[in-house]
Amino acid sequence: MKVLSNITISIGGGRELDNAALSALAANLPGLRVVPLGSNPPPQVLVWDVRTDLEELPVVSRDTAILLLVEEAGLDSLPEAVTGLFSRDEPPAALGVAIRQVARGEQYLSPTFAIKILQNHRTKTSFDESQKSNFELLTNREREVFDLLAQGLSNKAIASRLYLSVRTVEGHLANIYSRLGVHSRTEAMLIAVKDK
Amino acid sequence: MKTSSITRLAILGTMSELHKQPISYDLDSLKKVVVDVSPDLLCAEITADAWEREDMSKASLEVRDALAPVIASTDIVLIPISPSLEQYADFKPDFGWRQRLVRTFDRLLRWGQIQADNVQAVNGMWFETFCHTVCWFNEALWTAEDRVAWEKQNEEMVSNIIHAVQRDAGRRLLVVVQCQRVHQLIPLLRAHDDLLKLVDYQEL
Repeated sequence: MKVLSNITISIGGGRELDNAALSALAANLPGLRVVPLGSNPPPQVLVWDVRTDLEELPVVSRDTAILLLVEEAGLDSLPEAVTGLFSRDEPPAALGVAIRQVARGEQYLSPTFAIKILQNHRTKTSFDESQKSNFELLTNREREVFDLLAQGLSNKAIASRLYLSVRTVEGHLANIYSRLGVHSRTEAMLIAVKDK
Repeated sequence: MKTSSITRLAILGTMSELHKQPISYDLDSLKKVVVDVSPDLLCAEITADAWEREDMSKASLEVRDALAPVIASTDIVLIPISPSLEQYADFKPDFGWRQRLVRTFDRLLRWGQIQADNVQAVNGMWFETFCHTVCWFNEALWTAEDRVAWEKQNEEMVSNIIHAVQRDAGRRLLVVVQCQRVHQLIPLLRAHDDLLKLVDYQEL
């Protein structure tokens, strides 16, 4: 049997007890392996519990994606390596989905954060008419994926809703970004909300 | 990126309860196999309605206690394929000599299951042959009406599997069903070899 290797993760940022609890949770999620921060090779994902600010966030290898565990999405600027924001309100099992998503080089945003960010930016973002005309280029399936993206759903949640694999959803998202001329999930979400 | 539009499909037989009675079965080994195989899609015995409402009250032990927790924390997407709630046990005769004989076969099946209490054993050649034979005799004792209903249910399951294959071609798909269904589903799935390739779960 072809056994997929475990995703290596490190935990940091929180109080010692919180880190230990997070490590225990992650170790119990299938397909994940907790390694010490600073191990060699570096972990694929660093889960960083943000208590106050990001000053203590360590410099990590280019191969390490950072998933921040936060109270709210109020962080003004994020380091480039941060590709995920995970809400403390999400169910524990969702952490496994979030870790997998950032480990694959995708972005992860908890649905509650996504909606708040979109609400904040709704009135600020200008809408490019050419992007609007590009909607017509989307296939029916891409349009469905796009609509669910606008609701702030993660790739796994979109896949589950449409009964498609996560890889297929990621393929549709890549096509959508390309057709709309955007480069990130957040940009696509902003356009999606503007379209409503 | 997809390299082929032919779906690779494996069937995994499970047996965590027999006639609604819990029996010894290692659900952790089922979880481990599913995580190790890590299919893109996993077809399981639960109705779409129950799955979408997150109602596990009528789900089998393997769905409720093994598959659902794995699905919640991994990228595997569950496809509900049950057209209705009935399981193998619901098709037995209600009275008479047929019922007594079915009970005897059930005891035999229970004995066999005690010898095969994990995923690997249930899907091994010995138990598959044993289960297929006992189930064949059992089904022969059912009423014609129940046999038709059982076969119709399996056909509808295959139809739901084929829809999943057509919706998302070229993926790795694991079908996890009661072991009593496996010998019914395999020939029905083989009829769709233009869409899928049946492989052993260890080779998925």
